[in-house]
Amino acid sequence: MLLELRDISVNYGKISAIRNISIGVPEGQIVTIIGGNGAGKTTTLRAMSGMLPLQGGEIYFDGKRVDGMAPHKIVAHGIAHVPEGRRIFPDMTVEENLRTGAFLRKDKDKIEADLEDVFNRFPRLRERRRQRAQTMSGGEQQMLAIGRALMSDPRVLLMDEPSMGLAPVIVEEIAVIIEEINQRGLSVVLVEQNAVLALELANYAYVLETGNMALEGPASELHDNEHVRAAYLGL
Amino acid sequence: MFELLAQTSLNAIYAASYISLVAVGLVLIFGVMGVINFAHGELFMAGSYVVVALYADRMVPFFVAVAAGLIFVGLLGLLMERALFRPLRDNPLGGLVASIGFLMVLQALAVLGFGVRMEHIPPVTQDVIRFADKISIPVARVYVIVTAFVMLSALWYFLKRTRFGWALRASAQDPEAAALQGISVTQTAMIAMFIGAGFAGMAGALTAPLISINPHMGHSVIITAFIVIIVGGVGSLEGAVLASVVYAFVHTFVTTFFDGVLADITGLALMLIVLIVKPTGLFGSADRA
Ligand SMILES: Nc1ncnc2c1ncn2[C@@H]1O[C@H](COP(=O)(O)OP(=O)(O)OP(=O)(O)O)[C@@H](O)[C@H]1O
Ligand SMILES: [Mg+2]
Repeated sequence: MLLELRDISVNYGKISAIRNISIGVPEGQIVTIIGGNGAGKTTTLRAMSGMLPLQGGEIYFDGKRVDGMAPHKIVAHGIAHVPEGRRIFPDMTVEENLRTGAFLRKDKDKIEADLEDVFNRFPRLRERRRQRAQTMSGGEQQMLAIGRALMSDPRVLLMDEPSMGLAPVIVEEIAVIIEEINQRGLSVVLVEQNAVLALELANYAYVLETGNMALEGPASELHDNEHVRAAYLGL
Repeated sequence: MFELLAQTSLNAIYAASYISLVAVGLVLIFGVMGVINFAHGELFMAGSYVVVALYADRMVPFFVAVAAGLIFVGLLGLLMERALFRPLRDNPLGGLVASIGFLMVLQALAVLGFGVRMEHIPPVTQDVIRFADKISIPVARVYVIVTAFVMLSALWYFLKRTRFGWALRASAQDPEAAALQGISVTQTAMIAMFIGAGFAGMAGALTAPLISINPHMGHSVIITAFIVIIVGGVGSLEGAVLASVVYAFVHTFVTTFFDGVLADITGLALMLIVLIVKPTGLFGSADRA
């Protein structure tokens, strides 16, 4: 496993948000975590990138234990996080946002090549490179958030509801991008309420319900699961 | 009449230059730390006393003393970050209260070290640049203007063109998202505190030979700085500089043509009008640095 959560629990104050969650992300695969509002998806993702302390359990990345590390240290290991709500830097230009994603890198030539790569992948970002990020549409901001995460040259990309609030055509576009990114060898952890999209993209899926792991299995199997069909796919 | 207008404008440019240094530091600290630093006026005061101690009492060359003021007060900023703001990171109100406590400590230390009397220190230079019969500017003031201009330009370059400058702006706009890019928010907080405090200290050091120095001089400095950053739009560095210019011109002209008390009242009135008409400040939107 490239990234492995063993039995982790997270509390907010005294309130338990997730309990005994174990998740494995094999190299080169797309793993999805689905679940309804408040199930604990964002909490799980934030624990992976060091933004929340664990109440219990361990997190391993590439064999090294990473729980307890500060978020900026975890990025250095190769875990990039596209946060819920995009969280781009509103007053910085598109290009500044992207270059900030490469903050820790020293390989100048490769940074320029990767920037070019992001611009090729998202032509609209190139057109708007000198524009303040705040002035862009929701879909463009999501692409910027993904591009910014890619600029850290990560090995695994954590994505928190990239489809949220976007028109169906844009969601389709983002889905294609996630597949392309993955085909280049990047592992992806995709958190989604849009279970149809998530199960279509992922190799393996976990279902969170009120902080507990309810189900897990290959995405195709979960797609045919009675409970998943009724509760998440509306079938 | 032209002479008087030109002369008053020169005086206003001088005032604008050191007010900008103070206000920009305050905005930078607010942007990155999320804390309103009430001790900012006392950091200015501390800078003045560094010049008293080194230049006036120990004959250290003036610009060396000014550099020492920048560094010493910058270090005071680091101390505040480590001892007060870091433990109170998620508590902006606590940070504000702690900064008021620090203000009192600095005042008390100034009284202990130098007494309550006013200090007047020997002029750096008596030279005056004379443009016309009634239009002139003391070279000591030119030093302040030029240094402020250089330092503000350097800050602008740092924030817009360097990797750590971007990191600083990113942390000001969204600290959590900044951490996710590998930026250490503790490190950017330290940089912001050093620059923000250091600029206030430098303003105090530069103007020390031109003003009267006492342990309570910080009051009027912080009031001016608050007016300026509210007029400029609390999060905006450019706004702080532009508002410093506006404020300095209004204040200097009212002082010259009417009197100083009326100038202070006008300054406050200017702030109230801005708050009523455009609460985000003349130059700011709702954004931060
Ligand atoms: N900062 C917080 N303080 C206290 N409780 C929180 C906090 N953030 C989340 N919670 C609680 O933790 C639980 C899990 O929240 P989380 O945000 O992880 O859910 P989610 O699955 O991401 O939901 P959504 O799909 O709505 O984003 C919820 O009950 C939520 O109310
Ligand atoms: Mg969520």
